[in-house]
Amino acid sequence: MAVNRIRQALPQYAAISPFFILFAIFGAFPVLFSIWISFHSWDGIGPMQWVGLEQYHYLVTDPKFWQTIGNTMIIWVLSTVPMLLLALVIANALHNATRFRTFYRIAYFVPNVTSVVAVTLVFGSIFSNNFGLLNAFLQSIGLGKVEWLTQPWGIKIAIATIVTWRWVGYNAIIFLAGLQAISADVYEAAKVDGASSRQTFWRITVPMLRPVILFTAVTSTIGGLQIFTESRVLFGDTSNIGGPGDAGMTIVSYLYQSAFIKNQFGYGAAIGWALFVLIVLFSIINWRLIGGNDDERVTSRARRRAERRIKQQKETADVR
Amino acid sequence: MPLSRRTFLAAGTGAAVAGLTGCGSRSSLGSASELTMWTWVGSVNDDLIGQAEKGIPGYDGLKLSMTRIGSNYKTKVLTALAGKSLVPDIVAINDDVATYFPNADQFHDLSELGAKERENDFLAWKWKLGVTPQGKMMAYPMDTGPTALFYRSDLFEKAGVDIDPAAVAQQAPDWDSYIALGKKIQQAIPGAAITDNVNSVFAYRMAQQPQRYMTADGRYLGDQDHVREAFDLAIRVVREGLSANAQDGSTDADAVVTNGRLVAFNAAVWWAQLGPKNAAPKTKGNWRVAAAPGGAGNRGGSFLAITKYCKNPEAAFAFISWLESAQNQAEAFLDPVLFPSTPASYTDPRLTAPDEFFGGQRIVDVFAESAKKYPGAYFSPYDSIIGDQLSAQLVIVETGGKSPDQAWNDAQEQIERELTRAGAI
Amino acid sequence: MSVERIRTITGHVVLMLGVAVSLFPFYWMVVMASNTTPDIFAYPPKLVIGSHLFENMGKVLDNVDFFGSMLLTLVAALSVTVLVLFFDSLAAFAFAKYEFPGRNVLFGLLLATFMIPAQLSLVPQFVTLAQFGWIGSLKALIIPGAANAFGIFWMRQYAKGAIPDELISAAKVDGAGFFRQYLTVGLPVLRPGLAFLGIFTFINVWNDYLWPLIVMTDPNRLTLQVALDQLNGIYGTDYSMVMAGALMSVIPLIGVFLIGARSFIADLAAGAMKF
Repeated sequence: MAVNRIRQALPQYAAISPFFILFAIFGAFPVLFSIWISFHSWDGIGPMQWVGLEQYHYLVTDPKFWQTIGNTMIIWVLSTVPMLLLALVIANALHNATRFRTFYRIAYFVPNVTSVVAVTLVFGSIFSNNFGLLNAFLQSIGLGKVEWLTQPWGIKIAIATIVTWRWVGYNAIIFLAGLQAISADVYEAAKVDGASSRQTFWRITVPMLRPVILFTAVTSTIGGLQIFTESRVLFGDTSNIGGPGDAGMTIVSYLYQSAFIKNQFGYGAAIGWALFVLIVLFSIINWRLIGGNDDERVTSRARRRAERRIKQQKETADVR
Repeated sequence: MPLSRRTFLAAGTGAAVAGLTGCGSRSSLGSASELTMWTWVGSVNDDLIGQAEKGIPGYDGLKLSMTRIGSNYKTKVLTALAGKSLVPDIVAINDDVATYFPNADQFHDLSELGAKERENDFLAWKWKLGVTPQGKMMAYPMDTGPTALFYRSDLFEKAGVDIDPAAVAQQAPDWDSYIALGKKIQQAIPGAAITDNVNSVFAYRMAQQPQRYMTADGRYLGDQDHVREAFDLAIRVVREGLSANAQDGSTDADAVVTNGRLVAFNAAVWWAQLGPKNAAPKTKGNWRVAAAPGGAGNRGGSFLAITKYCKNPEAAFAFISWLESAQNQAEAFLDPVLFPSTPASYTDPRLTAPDEFFGGQRIVDVFAESAKKYPGAYFSPYDSIIGDQLSAQLVIVETGGKSPDQAWNDAQEQIERELTRAGAI
Repeated sequence: MSVERIRTITGHVVLMLGVAVSLFPFYWMVVMASNTTPDIFAYPPKLVIGSHLFENMGKVLDNVDFFGSMLLTLVAALSVTVLVLFFDSLAAFAFAKYEFPGRNVLFGLLLATFMIPAQLSLVPQFVTLAQFGWIGSLKALIIPGAANAFGIFWMRQYAKGAIPDELISAAKVDGAGFFRQYLTVGLPVLRPGLAFLGIFTFINVWNDYLWPLIVMTDPNRLTLQVALDQLNGIYGTDYSMVMAGALMSVIPLIGVFLIGARSFIADLAAGAMKF
């Protein structure tokens, strides 16, 4: 019977097989293989040398690794917070605007489809220490130059600005879709109850946007932890891809540097696993913080408790 | 979207077939009638390469196809070797040739291709650097990097120093007297510097030593006195105010040559091109060279190796031995100032001609003397790991004012970690 | 003026400011690409479009094989796009419209692959492709990305609502097999969805940087993004030329995007809402 059903479904299995075959070869196998590689010292060319957990031991005691985690976190916060806030403001304004909507959407979305390499080159020239547009502007209004691309904070701000600029429009468009999905009746009801517009925003709009905010938070966390191109292109032609003092070295930059510049494939694989753990960790944190399941969990627990009590009372009553 | 089902399917099948069957995998880069070669900008004489691009001498129908890689050269070579396909036939290798020794099986043994017969043409210490501890001849000598003292005769004159090269060498036979000379010049020329940055002093002092960071049998020497001496000397030059604090790769590095802040510099021969000739052409006639304070030394100088993927190793060897003959190395001295590793070149008229950039001085005499006297030193596969850590700490001492002892200890600690992981100690 | 009207105007002012910030870097790119480097480095810098655009573009063509890189990138992006559209829509059609043993488990497995960051397998994937002898060849750019979980997920959501079950039943009655049903019933309905997924995939492959940086080892066969980075690495001091290169690499893609921008943005937003 079951065999028959499987035989009948052969075309469907064939239809979904390309993904699973490709994933097995280029996804699952490499992931397992990378565990194996991370137990070795290997330059990618010569023979592999078994070192057990040595790479992981080196990893957790490697100050550079922790620095890159710190850098990545700071860049992530510096980009995600303003990005989501600005996106919310823009989405709100777009929601209320009735004219030029298509123009606005396209204008806000274009940065997102532009290549990071090209964008970074442009921003590199804006933030340049000596010839940058930003410093020229600061000078013209009587402020001094800032060494954006050599100071630790300047470097992080420059990278975060690039990320923010590329993703504000994208997130605004998604927030907008969320806003449009909220039915007008809810707002109508709030108006009748005499809610102020601020109350409406915080009590109705934001809670109802929760799933959308969760989506943008998760995607920008995953994206933020994988930042690489910005710092590589900003500092790529020097031997140090993280910039002065490694202030712009992200986790992925460090992975790339370890594996493909210093040819430490084993260490690169170990950093890959650390990155994976971080992404899973942060996704869970996001889920917990914004997921909004807590209320439901609380209510269902309360309901179960109430039901139990009713049942108990019934039982005691029956006994009587 | 105008996407009809038929064209969509046709395109899909077509792309899938093209992608999956495609051209079979080739392991060597270039067509069968080409010998491919990778090198970095400024490492060969362009006229000679131009000749080989028309045809490899003695091998009809075979041409050289050369790619000059602008940045991250070593990364690209190692990635291609790890990628195992489309690897060039010939690669240039810098003075860190020993870092390739653990992977010597990726290259042909040149002695099997006839290198032995040429050995006597070359400086003995240079030849040895391309041979692995197991005796495999992995890399063929290109140029060398003998060191000497470059100085600005016009500025020395202003400071009342005798500008004759022999007199300068006599006044500054070692680093102590060199520092004293620098202080003297500084009184006449405020801001004058005798090094671009802290690391040049360290690197050029190390370049004069008969031993470096490890012994041939794998003992770590990076914490020994000769390294500490170079480390402390570099910091001392900075503390005496004689460093221009222009870090490598910064735009300032050229500026200190152009604006005359760098009045003297103990450097390798190739610096003549990279430094004054490129950055300060207007100083033509004002430069001289003298024997370096602290003795003969060598920094830099490259090699050529034939990868195991090579289509025609005999032809490749014929080409590299032609390119690095005493005749042709003399040509490469004229442009781009690569100093020959073949002593026969030192009496070639192209080298002994007076150089107007150096006020008509025959600079070859100074460098040839240095190249011949240089004792040679063992380069281990781990030298880059060790040297990078020491350099990084020195930069922090110069730019961030870190205490020298702290910097030394931090470097040693990090080196120990890295060497342990690499399985070197 | 009513409060309502003031609000509307304020809204537009805010939006216009945002548009200015959003588009300024493009303007600045054109300014730099059309002036000489000394003009850009001057203080105060030139802020208007100059007359050296074609001169700078010419320099780009002299220094890198721009059209070669563009052709290579185009071939890679088109191949991946066509393969993804075919494989993803086929799988999505099966997942959305058919019951078969293990369907939900397999779909769950597919969703789980979302969690794996591409960088985790950067090193092992390189090693695997090296064993295949694919490093340096276009196959390394095309085959591993020929089908993806995102596309299947997205198309399945789309297919579920868009394809009426009656149409499939009717096709079955006519004696059409699964593949025939996909062609006659599935594809025509999925076409708008394919347009979105196609543009999305094309843009991603065109702009990808890290993977081609690693696998395209032959310096004479680089994708556009890596070639652009290379141009900057070697001739970084000639700003106006590098910017001309950046401009040339960006224009074709923005063109592709603008053709389908309207529905593309709407589809993208709709997709995000389904998560």
